[in-house]
Amino acid sequence: MSSESSMFSHRWLPVLLLAPLMLLIVLFFYVPVFQAFYWSFFLEQPFGGGSEFVGLQNFQRVLSDPEFWGATGRTVIFMLTASSLAVVVPLMLAIAADRKIGMSYPARNILVWPKGIAGASIGVVFAFIFNPFVGLMAPLNSLFPGLWNPGIDGTDAFITLVAAHVWSGIPFNFVILLAGLRSIPPTMYQAAAMDGAGPWRRIFDVQLPLIMPQLFLTFVLEFTESITSVFALIDTITGGGPGGSTTLLVYKIYVDGFRGFDLSGASTQTAILMVFVLILAACQFFFLGRRINYER
Amino acid sequence: MVENARSINIAASILLAIGILYIVGPLYLTLSTASQSYEYMLRNGLAWVPGTELFANMGKVIHDTRIPVQMLNSMIVAFSNALATCALSFLSAYAIVYFRIRWAGVAFALILATIMLPLDIRVITTYQVASNIFSPLNAVLDFTDLNSLIEMVFGSTVHLELSVLDTRFGLVAPLVAHGTGTFLFRQFFLTLPKDLFKAARMDGAGPIRFLIDILLPLARTSFASLFVLTFLSGWTQYLWPLVGASTPDMQTAVVGLARLVPDADGQVPDFPMIMAGAVLVSLVPLTMIALLQRFLVQGLVLSEK
Repeated sequence: MSSESSMFSHRWLPVLLLAPLMLLIVLFFYVPVFQAFYWSFFLEQPFGGGSEFVGLQNFQRVLSDPEFWGATGRTVIFMLTASSLAVVVPLMLAIAADRKIGMSYPARNILVWPKGIAGASIGVVFAFIFNPFVGLMAPLNSLFPGLWNPGIDGTDAFITLVAAHVWSGIPFNFVILLAGLRSIPPTMYQAAAMDGAGPWRRIFDVQLPLIMPQLFLTFVLEFTESITSVFALIDTITGGGPGGSTTLLVYKIYVDGFRGFDLSGASTQTAILMVFVLILAACQFFFLGRRINYER
Repeated sequence: MVENARSINIAASILLAIGILYIVGPLYLTLSTASQSYEYMLRNGLAWVPGTELFANMGKVIHDTRIPVQMLNSMIVAFSNALATCALSFLSAYAIVYFRIRWAGVAFALILATIMLPLDIRVITTYQVASNIFSPLNAVLDFTDLNSLIEMVFGSTVHLELSVLDTRFGLVAPLVAHGTGTFLFRQFFLTLPKDLFKAARMDGAGPIRFLIDILLPLARTSFASLFVLTFLSGWTQYLWPLVGASTPDMQTAVVGLARLVPDADGQVPDFPMIMAGAVLVSLVPLTMIALLQRFLVQGLVLSEK
């Protein structure tokens, strides 16, 4: 009776209500996902020139391509460096902004701004700021020639990408972590203070353990985010260069598919990347998620 | 609670100051460079002090590039994305929470799964679907041999074609195919007291009346939060508008801005003009954040609870 009486019984109305969103999701989510896997077993001609079943040949071709492994390696490196920074930096800022100090009010406002700036826009800006000839490092470059040049040095280009990614990632992670910190009841702090834990100590003994759910969540989302949203940054800052040193998988798929018209290769890499993302999320969920106490 | 927390407060203040500088610094340099002339930039590089050329540079962007038209496109895309997401998510969350349907859990899982694989990953095949949105139907007809049946009856097979590439619908629809909104509204509905429903039923409210007269007014803040969130996400999209629209007049402002930077090396690009473009393109979303920050923060928190 309890749950029964809180619901409508209707045959076709719920179907009608769900239909529009479901139709879009099937058409623009499930069909493309299915097609990526489907095409990875076929040799597709561009511009609808027919297709031919080739079994695992696409996978053999992709997996024996050193460029694919290079892009995969760079994707993993970027994921580990950029996403940990994109969580740790907002975490420190959130812990600081949670204190009742004068700076925390402007900070809470300003740190959300990047949410309104497109990845591609900030990419254009960072490409200028880190330009070796007219940018921030230009004076240093004239003193020490060759110190900074993202156009030639792959590491410099990579650093620029990470800096831009962390910049765009601050709002979301900051807001989530701050919300977690603010939901910690003040009695927790009082109890810890009674036991002699000072404010520094409480960061590690009270705050961090209690915002584990939020921290876990930001990590899970940030891993996927760093893999995909980096496209706009690569396309505007480095163009995959110099010498392919910033060609991450998501960019390689775009280049192979839309510039090289290698639909089968791009689909195969898409399928591999999807499986990778899903495994990653599952791993984090099972290995990390279990150890976290969600109870308050 | 009185205690000596001076050291941590000082450290926190310094940290926040660095954080603010990190966020505002690039924005300030963008604005100050946008207000200098090309010659100034060639001589001095980055502009640390604002100049007087801001409106001249913006004028160049407005007259010499397609950014104004593209900003209109961005506006339409972002607005329809926000509106469609709000409306469709609200309806589907309503169906999932308030109707006794056996497959509610499955439907919700199917919608939620979209969060796992963002559009940027599946762009290649999404492009193929958008180039003919009837292709799944055609494939089903071929696969099930329905087409040979149709051929027998009507004399020819069915093969439908409709491309949504280079249309505003095509730019928006794949963005709406996302589960965050449904998740957000479902969470909101679950926090409402069950007695609300019972009282409405007792007063004789049917499903439609309950939806319009009771849930809609209650969900105002959720709507505002989701609207701000999806508007910003629509405005800042890059990869999909880049491939989904091929003519400059159909592209969005962010794509247009990225295209202002010349591909070829050689001459130093007109950075003041490009930075003025970046200022113009970011004006709308930043104004929105300034005015509706409360809803944005709420939306970010709600969408992930």
